[in-house]
Amino acid sequence: MANVDFRAVTKSFGAFTALHGLDLSIKSGEFVALLGPSGCGKTTTLRMLAGLEFPTTGDIIIGDRRVNDLAPGERDIAMVFQSYALYPHMTVAENMAYPLKKRGVPKADRGPMVAKTAEMLHLTALLDRKPKQLSGGQQQRVALGRALIRDPKVFLLDEPLSNLDAKLRSQLRAELIELHRRLGRTMVYVTHDQLEAMTMADRIAIMEGGNLQQFAPPAEVYARPANRFVAGFIGTPGMTLIDGALVQDQGRWLFEGDGLRLDVPALVAGASAGPAAFGIRPEDVHIGRGDLQGEIVLTEATGHETIVTVALSAAVRVVARVPGTPSLRIGERVPVGLDAACAHIFAAGPHGVRLNHPSGAAGADETDNIAAPLRVASKGVVS
Amino acid sequence: MMRKFLGPVVLNVFAWTTILAVAFPLFWMLVTSVKPQSELFRRPPTMLPESWTFEHYWHLLSQTNFLVYFRNSVMLSTVTTLLVVTVATLGAYSLVRFRYRGRESLAFMVLFTYLLPSVVLIIPLYLMLVSMGLSNTLFSLVIAYTTFALPYALWLMRSFMAGVPDDLEYAAMVDGASRMGAFVDVILPQLLPGIISTALFTFILSWNEYLYALVLVNSDEARPLTTGVMNMLISSFNIEWSLLMAASVMMSVPLIIVFAFLQSYLTRGFGAGAVKG
Amino acid sequence: MPAPIQSPLERRYARLGLLLIAPTVLIFCAVIIYPLVSAIYLSLFRVFTPTLESSWVGLSNYRELLASGVFWKALWNTLIWTAGTLTLQIVLGIGMALVLHQNIWFRSLARSLILFPYFISTVVAVLVWKWVFNDLYGILNHLLMRGGIIDMPIDYLGSMPNAMISVILVGAWKYFPFVVIAVLARLQTIPEPLYEAARIDGAGPIARFFDVTLPQLRDVLVVIIMLRAIWDFKEFDLIWLLTGGGPSSSTETLPIVVYRQAFALNQMGMAAAWAVSMMAILLVFMIVYIRRTREKETA
Repeated sequence: MANVDFRAVTKSFGAFTALHGLDLSIKSGEFVALLGPSGCGKTTTLRMLAGLEFPTTGDIIIGDRRVNDLAPGERDIAMVFQSYALYPHMTVAENMAYPLKKRGVPKADRGPMVAKTAEMLHLTALLDRKPKQLSGGQQQRVALGRALIRDPKVFLLDEPLSNLDAKLRSQLRAELIELHRRLGRTMVYVTHDQLEAMTMADRIAIMEGGNLQQFAPPAEVYARPANRFVAGFIGTPGMTLIDGALVQDQGRWLFEGDGLRLDVPALVAGASAGPAAFGIRPEDVHIGRGDLQGEIVLTEATGHETIVTVALSAAVRVVARVPGTPSLRIGERVPVGLDAACAHIFAAGPHGVRLNHPSGAAGADETDNIAAPLRVASKGVVS
Repeated sequence: MMRKFLGPVVLNVFAWTTILAVAFPLFWMLVTSVKPQSELFRRPPTMLPESWTFEHYWHLLSQTNFLVYFRNSVMLSTVTTLLVVTVATLGAYSLVRFRYRGRESLAFMVLFTYLLPSVVLIIPLYLMLVSMGLSNTLFSLVIAYTTFALPYALWLMRSFMAGVPDDLEYAAMVDGASRMGAFVDVILPQLLPGIISTALFTFILSWNEYLYALVLVNSDEARPLTTGVMNMLISSFNIEWSLLMAASVMMSVPLIIVFAFLQSYLTRGFGAGAVKG
Repeated sequence: MPAPIQSPLERRYARLGLLLIAPTVLIFCAVIIYPLVSAIYLSLFRVFTPTLESSWVGLSNYRELLASGVFWKALWNTLIWTAGTLTLQIVLGIGMALVLHQNIWFRSLARSLILFPYFISTVVAVLVWKWVFNDLYGILNHLLMRGGIIDMPIDYLGSMPNAMISVILVGAWKYFPFVVIAVLARLQTIPEPLYEAARIDGAGPIARFFDVTLPQLRDVLVVIIMLRAIWDFKEFDLIWLLTGGGPSSSTETLPIVVYRQAFALNQMGMAAAWAVSMMAILLVFMIVYIRRTREKETA
């Protein structure tokens, strides 16, 4: 068990900078997901932690050791690769025994350890097979077994589920959560799938363009996106974002844009008038009540809820989440309400910072209290 | 109905006529080598020998230097292959998987030398080997063959090496192996088919080489098959075609073995080096 | 440009990488780079081979060479040989690849038979063909005469233009399998739906070949043509063994002149000048090919 620290880590490939001064502190025993679109720097970050890439500047710390100059094998880590990277010429048992062999575990001790790990992962019947004779899910388990067989300080997982089908993925997701709870090991998990990050991680590090955008528990990332990028990236369907400006009218703050004029609550200190973006999540948009008028453009029913796209004007469309399957016709004009208390205000630009406290701003310091029940709820959905 | 049946027949007849025409000289070589001398000059010639004889083979093995040449060729090609494949495997590993200054230029140089004509190198090489006192030795030919075999083998191995997933090496390193440990434990086993393929190509290339052997060796002790057999043609008073055909067949024996058992490796080599490159 | 190396671990790896490439670099320097440079150096001297006596003559070897008709004649011969044999190799190669791509009987045997000429020694190929070409007892003359195509035995290698044609034909026979295998490998990766779509659009077999197959083969054909052009251009063994450059230097290509100058006429300096000039011409092809390969790799 060990904490992991990135201190001002940059990585350049020639003229291209993949990572701009990353600072990230992962607590001992924590499950952290590195989440972001492809090319965001998350895989580079993981590979530097593993010792497969070398930081251009900055320090990487595991436990209390600076590991920059240590070979991967000396860092006491285990890694699961996206491609699984099982050794094709070795059997399952040989694959799992390989890390033990390389660390000088006597042959007599390896057998029982392999047997134990195999049993835990339901691989006992497959021990004599070669990787080619296994299904994708089984290969994934072997890769996991090869990582678990030792007791490393940190587990690194590089999109381990992305090559599996949806059903298997949700099953293994549950198994990984369970595994982490049982082992209590530090885990760093790279993914581009926000569902995986939201459901499994204690904290999510959202990255984009080589920069860390936000590092917070899943619920906070959802409820309090730190900037416009995070707001747009997290949540399906995504948050509706409308460009406009903040204006002050008789001491009240208003958001104006595309013919809309909306009250803005709870601005942070220091916010000033000027260009800004107004964001609202689908569940905070109400259809059938409210003081705005809109025309239904699209309805997508999934059974337990319906996603409704409403045009407020020629330029502004908002997305609403409505429970059940209400009878709404395309082209129908309906009253629309935007729950101003839940609105998110960001400064202009693709990474504009957050300018207000959300949901009445119950308290920036108490997010963990809010997060806990929400997390349980979201985990409940998948498992 | 009729067309459906006739189409393939016409295609097959056409295809096999062409294929047999292409293969005919080789068939003729075999036939000639087992015809008795009396039948050889008969007109019209017999397509299949009326009586078979292996006297030419016997003559070749017992009364000419053929076996010496054969031994020379085997040694020469084996040593060249071992040397070149070993060096090329390590070199390709370095070129594909390591980062250092000048790596790109090196890769470029490999390709350049791969295309370089032998006649440009042969004059200085000849002078060099003569001044080192190595002329008329098999060793001088090993050195000379390296000039074309090493770039070739490197080019092939580079392509095979690129086909081994990076993640395998990384996984082995995370599991505790050093870089060379990962190379031996994980990369080498994956590379084996590529190594076999490269070795076969290198061996055949060396086995068939003529120009360097012609220039660098003119004593029978060190002559390989190519120049040795050609010498039999030039030096004999009247050309004994049966004997030469028997020699040709014998000379192709290693190739026939490769074709019979290892042909898939040859095709693989084509895909890796020649065409992809 | 690689990034500046900083971490000791990275430096350690770079050192290991250099260590692994070191044997290659050493051998390259000793047997390729050094001879290459000395070939250029040598071309500025007049050298008498048996005694290796030499004197500096500067560029006069090149002046003499370019002024002589022999160079241009040999270059012309080389181009004719290359163009002729290359064209045949490509046409025969594509044709045979298309045939072998079909589901013919004993396909793998057919493939082996076609592949064989490419791998046999040039010495064997030449011996066999010389016997086939033999004017008195050769099977070719016999068959052609019995078929009524010719009345008199033909002298295939001793007269012109027969000698050039024969050399080109044997070259095509020996090297077209390369084209077959390369094209065949590419043919097997053309997606079947492309043909389905063309068939639905009413394209016959010939239209399908020109509209689907050929465009798909384009890339691989460019590579094959460049490679084979380079290899054919520098071919020595086949021509030397078949005709020795004759009759009266009418099949004498550049590599043959180089060999003759150096080892028959004993003029090493002049031979080196020939070799360097030949390489200069070849360099054009080589650079085109290398650039293409690099582009492909970086893309």
